[in-house]
Amino acid sequence: MKYLDLALNSAEKLGAEYADIRIHKTTAQRIYLRNLSLKNTSNQVVDGYGIRIFKNGAWGFAHSNVYSDAAVLATVKKAMQTAELSASANKGRGLRLAPERSYIAEYETPLCIDPLSVSLKEKVDLMMEVNRMMLNYEGIRQAVFFLLMQKDEKLFASTLGTRLDIKTSFIDPMVIATAVHEGDSQSRTFDEGGRATGWEWVLDLELMEKAKQIAEEALIKVKADPLGPEQRRSLILDPNHLGLTMHESVGHPTELDRVLGWEADYAGISFATPEKLKNYRYGSELINFMGDNTLDEGLATAGFDDDGVPGQKWHIVKDGILNEYGSTRDTALEIGLNYSRGCNRATYYYNQPINRIPNLYLMPGTKALTPAELIADTEDGVYIQGRGSFSIDQHRVNFQFGGDFFWEIKNGKLIRPLKKVLYKSCNPEFWNSCDAICDERFWRPFGVVNCGKGQPSQTARMTHGSAPARFRNIRVGGSQ
Amino acid sequence: MNSKLKKIVQYVEKNCQADDFTLNIFLEDSHETRFAQNAVTQHIAGANLSISLEVAFDNKTGSCEVNQDSPETLAYLIKTAEDMAKLNQPDPEYVASAAKQKFTSYESAAAATKELSPERMIEIVKDSIRNAEKQEAKVSGMTEKHLYEHFLATKNGFRGSYESGSFGHSMTIIKADVETKISCTHKDFASFKLKDELKKLNAQFSGLSSPQNFDAQKIAVILRPEALMELLWFMCWMMNRRESDEGLTPFSDQLGKRFFGKDFSMYSTLKNNELSCAPFSGDGIISEDRTWIEKGKLVNMPCNCFWAQKIGEKPSRLFNIYIPGGKSSEAEMMKKVPKGLIINRFWYIRTVDMKKGELTGMTRDGVLYFENGKIKHAVNNLRFNEIPHDMTKRILALGTNQVVESYLDLPTMLIDGFNFVDKTSF
Repeated sequence: MKYLDLALNSAEKLGAEYADIRIHKTTAQRIYLRNLSLKNTSNQVVDGYGIRIFKNGAWGFAHSNVYSDAAVLATVKKAMQTAELSASANKGRGLRLAPERSYIAEYETPLCIDPLSVSLKEKVDLMMEVNRMMLNYEGIRQAVFFLLMQKDEKLFASTLGTRLDIKTSFIDPMVIATAVHEGDSQSRTFDEGGRATGWEWVLDLELMEKAKQIAEEALIKVKADPLGPEQRRSLILDPNHLGLTMHESVGHPTELDRVLGWEADYAGISFATPEKLKNYRYGSELINFMGDNTLDEGLATAGFDDDGVPGQKWHIVKDGILNEYGSTRDTALEIGLNYSRGCNRATYYYNQPINRIPNLYLMPGTKALTPAELIADTEDGVYIQGRGSFSIDQHRVNFQFGGDFFWEIKNGKLIRPLKKVLYKSCNPEFWNSCDAICDERFWRPFGVVNCGKGQPSQTARMTHGSAPARFRNIRVGGSQ
Repeated sequence: MNSKLKKIVQYVEKNCQADDFTLNIFLEDSHETRFAQNAVTQHIAGANLSISLEVAFDNKTGSCEVNQDSPETLAYLIKTAEDMAKLNQPDPEYVASAAKQKFTSYESAAAATKELSPERMIEIVKDSIRNAEKQEAKVSGMTEKHLYEHFLATKNGFRGSYESGSFGHSMTIIKADVETKISCTHKDFASFKLKDELKKLNAQFSGLSSPQNFDAQKIAVILRPEALMELLWFMCWMMNRRESDEGLTPFSDQLGKRFFGKDFSMYSTLKNNELSCAPFSGDGIISEDRTWIEKGKLVNMPCNCFWAQKIGEKPSRLFNIYIPGGKSSEAEMMKKVPKGLIINRFWYIRTVDMKKGELTGMTRDGVLYFENGKIKHAVNNLRFNEIPHDMTKRILALGTNQVVESYLDLPTMLIDGFNFVDKTSF
C-alpha cells in the first residue's frame, strides 16, 4: 500500500531515527444470548493506522482513521512532534532499541472455516438450541451464550526495511448456566478462553453435551456445601484453572516493562527483578514455563509482534529457576539483552504497542501420570476446575483464587462437590509447592482474550496451557 | 452538532430501511503522555470516531459499528446491521428505540481544557519528574486530555448531542520500599493546580517511610475517598434491578428495606457542577436526580428499558454518585477507636460471591497504622474479604466530601471491623 512508503519516507525526512507504520483493520462479530433473548448481535470494524517515531531516545505515536496522503503526512508530523516533546522531558535518560534485522513476510492464522463467513443463522440456531436446553432444567434461572469472533489484518512497515502482511483470527465461545436455590445463586461456565482457529473448532466442541454438563453441575454446585474453615490442604488444579493462575502469577511478573517499573502507576510492578535472573527459585524442579509465540492455535501467535520481531520460543522458568523475561525492543537493552523476545503488541490501530504476556504454558510432567492416579494419590485436598474469582497484589506476590467447580478429596477419592472455595498463596511458595504434574497426554491449552493493561487501557490475547497438577500445603477454605 | 455528525445522521435517516433504528456517534480527540521512572515512555495523539447503528425489523435486531464516515462505509454500516437483523431470530425482549425526550442542557467542554496544548502537558510531566528527583525518587504516571462529542438519534424521534472534556494527571512515586499514588480528573483544566497535587503527593509519600510488619485482622479503617470509590463500583455493579428481581444479587427482595447502615445514603445528582455527566445514555435513558439509598433504605436500583417496561417503572441509570458525608476530620476519627488503619486505595478487587456481595482485594499505595489517636507508622499491604453493604452498617464516622475522578462526590469513612484476611511482603 502506498501509504507505507509515504509515511516512512516522510518520517525519515523529518529526522526520525526509526519509524514504523501499522495499518490495522479489526473486524469483530459478537453475539450475546441471554435466556433466549439476543441482547447484542453486532459487527464492528475498526480501521486505521498508527505511526511510531523514535527520536533522541523517545517515542512519539500518532494515529488516524483517514486514508489520504494529506492525513498520513499530518499523522507523521504529529508523531514527530510528540517524539520531540517526549525527548525534551527525558534529558539523556532516553530509551534504546534492541537491534533487529529486516523481514519481508506474510502470516495467516491457519483455519478451515472462517468464523466470520459462517451464516448468522447457523450461529444463532446453535446458540438458541444450547440456551433452550439449559433453560429446560428446573432451577436454571439464567442461561448465557456469548460468541466472539475476530480477525485482525495488519500491514506493517518500518525504516529497518521490514514489510509484513499479517492476518490473525480467533474464536471464543462461552456458555454459562446460573442456578438459584434456597437464597443462593451459583454459576458454572464452559469457557476455553478462545483459540486461534476456525469455526471447525466450535463444531468439534459438542457444545450441547458441554452445556448439559454445566447446567447439571450448576444445579449440583448451588446445593453443595461450602468447605468450612481455612486450613492447609493439597490442591489439584485442572488446566483451565491453572491457565489463569499462571497468567497472573507468572505471566505478568515476567513482563519486562513491569520489571522495569513502567507499569508502576497502573498495572503494577514485579517482584521478579533482574538480579534474580538465573538464580531465583520460582518453583519446584518440576516447573518449566515456556514463552512461545509460535504455538499452534496460540492467541499470541502472529508470525511477528508489533515491533516487527519474529515469534520465538524460550524458557521463562527453567527447572524451577527464573530464566528470562518476555521483552520488547525498547525494554531489552535496559537489562543488557541485545535482542527482543517479540512481545510488543497493540490492541487496535490507535494503541501504541506495549510489552505483553506471550503464549505462556507449563510443560507437562515427564513421567506417566493420569489425573485419576493423581487424585488416588491424594489424602486430603480439593480438586478445582475452571476459573473463578482472582486477585493479586501489584507486585505479583500475594494472591487469592476461587474456581468454577470444586470436589473434596479424601483418601484418594472425590467424596463430595463443594462451593465457595478459595485458596490463598504467594510467590514463590505456590509454584514451589508443586509436587506432581500429569503427563503430556493431559496437557490442554486455554486462552485469555481480555488481558487488561496499560494507560490508556488495552486488551491483549494469549494462550496458556498445562496438564493437571498438584500443589501441597496450600491455605484452602471457604469465603470470608 | 458539527457538520460531520450532521452528514452522518442525514445519510442514515435517508438510507436506513429498518422499522426502527438507534444511531450513536462518538467523536474523541485525545492526547496522552505516559511517563515512568522519570522518563516519558509513551506519547499518543489522535482522534477517534465511532458510529454505531442498531436496527430492528419487527423484533429482530442487528447492529454494526464502524469508525469511518465515507459514503461507502456508511452504506456498509446500514447494510450489515439490516442484514443481521433480517437473518436474526426474534428477540422476545426487544424494546422500541427511545422517543423524543427533554433533558437537562449540558455545558460543553471547558475552554481551558479545549485549549490545553501538548507543550503545556509536557511541562506538567517535567515538573512532576523534577519533584521526584528532588527526593531521589522515581515517578510514573499519565497526563491526559480528552475532548468528546456524542450524538444520539433514533427512528422514534430522540435527538440529543453534547460535548465534554476532561484533563487527568496521575503520579505514583517510589523510593526503596515506599510507594504511593495520587490522581485527579477535572472537567475544567483551569481547576487543576499542580502545586496542590505535588504537595498532596509529597505529604502522602513522606508519611510512609519504613513500613512495619502487620498481620491481617479485623480492625477499624479510615477509608479515604479513592479507596471507597473502588469498593463502591463493585457494589453498584451488583445493584441491578433485573438481576436482583431474578434472585441473582444480594439485593434480591430488599427494595424498600433497611439493607444498609442508617448513616449511608447514595444519590445520583446533576446539581454538582464539578461532576461530569452525560445527559443521556446510548439507549436514550435520561440522567435525572435519583435517590438509590436513603438513610440505609434501598429505594431504587438501576433498571434497563426492557425490565422497566415489564415491571411498569421508568428506566434509570447510575451516574455521578453522591454519598453525603459528615464533619469528622481524620484526626477526630482516629480518636474514636483504640487503633486502626488509614487506607489510601484498593487494588484488584474481584467478586468472591455474587449472591452475598462479597469482594476480595488488596490495599495499595500506602497503609498507615494509628493508635491512641495518632499515626504510628506505615504497614505492609493487606488482603481483604469484605461485603460493602454490610460494611455500611459499621460506619462510625463520616468525613468531609471530596470530588473523585470528576464523577464521584465521596466522604472519608471510619469503618469498624474491616475484614483483612492476609498480608503481602511489601
